[in-house]
Amino acid sequence: MIEPSVYGNRCSACGKVSYPAHHVCPECGEGAFEPVELAGEGTVLTYTDVYALPLDYAQRYLRLGMVELDLGVRATGQLLDENPEIGKRVKVTIGVVRQSSDKKIYGLQFVPV
Amino acid sequence: MRQVAIAGCGMTKFGRSDVNLVELMCESSVGALRHADLGERRVDAVYVANMGAARINKQTAIASALVDRLSLFPAMAESVENGPASGASAFKNGFLAVASGMADVVLVTGAEKMRAVNNLEATDFVASLTHPEAEYIYGVTLPSLAGMFTRLYMKQFGVTAEHLAMVAIKNQENALKNPFAHIQQRITIEGILHAPEAVVNNPFVADPLRLYDCCPVSDGAASLVLCELDLAREFCPAPIRVAGIGQATDTHAVHERPDPTQLTAVHLAAEKAFSISGLSPKEIDVVELHDAFTILEIAESEAAGFFPKGEGHLALEQGTTSLDGALPINPSGGLKGRGHPVGATGVAQLVELTWQLRGEADARQVKNAKSGFACNFGGFGNNVITTVLVREDR
Repeated sequence: MIEPSVYGNRCSACGKVSYPAHHVCPECGEGAFEPVELAGEGTVLTYTDVYALPLDYAQRYLRLGMVELDLGVRATGQLLDENPEIGKRVKVTIGVVRQSSDKKIYGLQFVPV
Repeated sequence: MRQVAIAGCGMTKFGRSDVNLVELMCESSVGALRHADLGERRVDAVYVANMGAARINKQTAIASALVDRLSLFPAMAESVENGPASGASAFKNGFLAVASGMADVVLVTGAEKMRAVNNLEATDFVASLTHPEAEYIYGVTLPSLAGMFTRLYMKQFGVTAEHLAMVAIKNQENALKNPFAHIQQRITIEGILHAPEAVVNNPFVADPLRLYDCCPVSDGAASLVLCELDLAREFCPAPIRVAGIGQATDTHAVHERPDPTQLTAVHLAAEKAFSISGLSPKEIDVVELHDAFTILEIAESEAAGFFPKGEGHLALEQGTTSLDGALPINPSGGLKGRGHPVGATGVAQLVELTWQLRGEADARQVKNAKSGFACNFGGFGNNVITTVLVREDR
């Protein structure tokens, strides 16, 4: 099985990395990109514990966060950290972020460094 | 462009409704048409604002259905879906139809019947406006985006849980004076924050946001009759002139914004509406903001230019935004108190301003209000429409 990954887009013209994907670069307006794996470390920008759980989740709460990745782009994902804090260093992992009866969805999970 | 006026308005009581969506729209539409008292004049066009009928009520093409129920043939008609900003979007389209000369009289009706489904489905329906791959799959909902926004806002600007509670208390207090409001309940800071039972009565929804920081899930409809200004002067005792409309968009994924605490689309839309109207924020007497979450009233009051960034909570604390303050915000109760049937909200905000500017707001009347401002906030701030209304003397 191929390891799942999440990718951002690096603009072939100006080098700006954006995530999620745009057809047109928000920085320079060009339209050619190379994929960049969202990996490595980053810093927690903000987070929340969601108690009003969305569909597909059966747990006490869901901890979500926004992270500033060192590669120069931000991402939203699940924060798997018992002691979350704004400004804390985390690293990107990939795991099952949503699971319904017939499918598993893989995505970004941030864990303490 | 021709000048456009609001000649009449109406709404249903927000809350839980037993009638179907089209009947709900009929009630507010008939109310607005009666209020406008058009006489022999015909409605040329109908704009319906709605976000979820196809999904939650299993009905499409509801503008045509409304025309049929009201026998408004052969009026032009269409529905406008623009997320939680659908209401002001439909209003803007109605404005353009009159301003361009394509129509003389337009009916704008916003409606939503969300309690047809349970809360989980209603929340999931609204969450379908988030980014499918970069937000939704992680379990992101509107309350969770608001929770992350609030945590950052609190850290940067010193907003506290007490400030958030003050918004809820103020708006629910105003709602007690609004017979159309969904929530009719007086709350205190003790009861929702400090008492031991507050953790049960007011649990976290998406921390630091609690239950009483979130608007309820509501059914409801609201309607406006728009008319060319000179024509309105012929029959309307108090035409309310549409002095300016502004609209702006922002990134779909909230994390992509250079400063996620900056509501750029609110700022740009407000700047545009003020510039068209020739008025400044200082010249506004009454304001309706999109407080789907308490923090948004504070943040929008800053982004729209009423207070400097980071000082909205101070104005709130000083009572400036209370019903008897210098700049009353959400005299209707806002989304928090009046309720938030998503497609109806943008229209309901303008209904409240119309009542306020006509001096018809009864117990919640802002004294001698001559100009009003509304902000209808779509997505989590990715599509925002603002409006400036001014009372015209006949």
